[in-house]
Amino acid sequence: MISHSPIKISIQDFHVFHEKIEALRGITLDVRANRILSVIGPSGAGKTTFLRALNRLNDLVPELHVEGRVLLDGQDIYHPDFDVVSLRKRVGMLFALPVALPMSIYENVVYGPRLSGVRDRARLSEIVERSLKAAFIWDEVKDRLQMSGLRLSGGQQQRLCLARVLAMEEMEVILLDEPCSGLDPISTAKIEEALTILKARYTIILVTNNTKQAARVADETAFFLTGEMVEYGHTEQIFTVPRDKRTNDYVTGRFG
Amino acid sequence: MRVPPKITQAVAVTILGGATFLTVAILVFIIGFVLSKGLPGVNAEFLLSAPKDLGRTGGIFVTIVGSVLLPLIAVAIALPLGVGTAVYLSEYTRETQFTRALRFGTDCLAGIPSIIFGLFGFIFFVMMLKMGWCLLSGGLTLAIMVLPTIIRTSEEAIRAVPNAYREVSFSLGATRWETVLKVVLPNALPGIVTGVMLAIGRSIGETAAVIFTAGSSLRMPSSMFDSVRTMSVHFYILATEGISDEKAYATAAVLILAVLLVNLAAYGMMHRFISRRAR
Repeated sequence: MISHSPIKISIQDFHVFHEKIEALRGITLDVRANRILSVIGPSGAGKTTFLRALNRLNDLVPELHVEGRVLLDGQDIYHPDFDVVSLRKRVGMLFALPVALPMSIYENVVYGPRLSGVRDRARLSEIVERSLKAAFIWDEVKDRLQMSGLRLSGGQQQRLCLARVLAMEEMEVILLDEPCSGLDPISTAKIEEALTILKARYTIILVTNNTKQAARVADETAFFLTGEMVEYGHTEQIFTVPRDKRTNDYVTGRFG
Repeated sequence: MRVPPKITQAVAVTILGGATFLTVAILVFIIGFVLSKGLPGVNAEFLLSAPKDLGRTGGIFVTIVGSVLLPLIAVAIALPLGVGTAVYLSEYTRETQFTRALRFGTDCLAGIPSIIFGLFGFIFFVMMLKMGWCLLSGGLTLAIMVLPTIIRTSEEAIRAVPNAYREVSFSLGATRWETVLKVVLPNALPGIVTGVMLAIGRSIGETAAVIFTAGSSLRMPSSMFDSVRTMSVHFYILATEGISDEKAYATAAVLILAVLLVNLAAYGMMHRFISRRAR
């Protein structure tokens, strides 16, 4: 037993096919609430495919199809009756390349809340301040909220993207796809700090190429290799006494 | 025998530069020629008074009204249809045999000579639907004529919107329609405006299709079902029927300036729009 917090997402024998190629080969994994799970592995391991399956962003790629089940709070998100829009309001995503929408910082943050029907200006302002503070970027942008988000640096844009996810009040799970791959160490540290605080409220899944980052912030770690989950366990165990030789080779830097 | 690179370079620069210079020279010559022959006849009275004696004397006010109204009607009809089609093709369907056929069809439509549209408009709107020669017949015909331009420029503009924007929007719980409305169309707008400007330019300059469908009445239209004469039709009639060379050139000068103005306004609008978003 790894953790006693409740299961937030239960992935059961989950496969993803890209036309004929099997990108994920039967992943079975329980993600615990209010924990940080990091998914590590070399490129091509299926980490991003896995992540994008959890808020059904893969739906946008018509060549993909999935088998198996993903339960969010016990409900199958691939069930035909499951509303994908409401899913994405509960399961947010941060991409590898920070993408500020070409609109003001303020508009970027309220994009989600506006879609959910929040119109009240005072409430929107309150959301903007709370989200930007939680993403550790408030002090840098509070005087220029009407400036285009595109004019921020990469590290600032990524934190703006985090704020945009945090702005949604329905949000429960945050998926991060190598969010720090293009960032400087200071921006990276700020994101990591934010994550360790945010896990009190959210369930966090962090895909990363940076094993050191996984070791720093993750409670649990899963090691993926060519579409399979090789090993899953406490982060400390994965990095100190991995059960599988391939995990050991990867975390000690012998390949990857 | 090898030609030394320096010489091929010099030859290339001469040929390419010459081609550019020739193009610009021809353009400047035509515009200069028309303006020099036409501008002396252009004054406030010419612009604002009604034509008399078939246009031999008097002004061209009616035809200016026609040249403003007709493209506006055409664009008002073609814009929602064209942008709607473009959004459907690029956002709502996968690339299939059907969409390819549709795209091929619009491309073919773009290559049809305008006189064919005129003939169709005459037979269908004017005769079959008994609408007669009128603003609406002309506007509908021109709308069909510029539809391919608007569809293709809009589609290209929509496809040029980075996919990452769509993914972000979807990942924040937007529906496809909300994504189109809040992210895709605003970012495609400069391209769509370009298409509209091209469409207006084509409509203003169009003669054949307009004569057949909007007629050539010199009376001021009072409704969509009145015939109207545009500047290009006026110019064509003045010149071919030998009514007045002087008035014909003056009309042409106004027409050229109008098109120039439309383009300048479009660039100004687009520039302001882009800089506002990137502020």
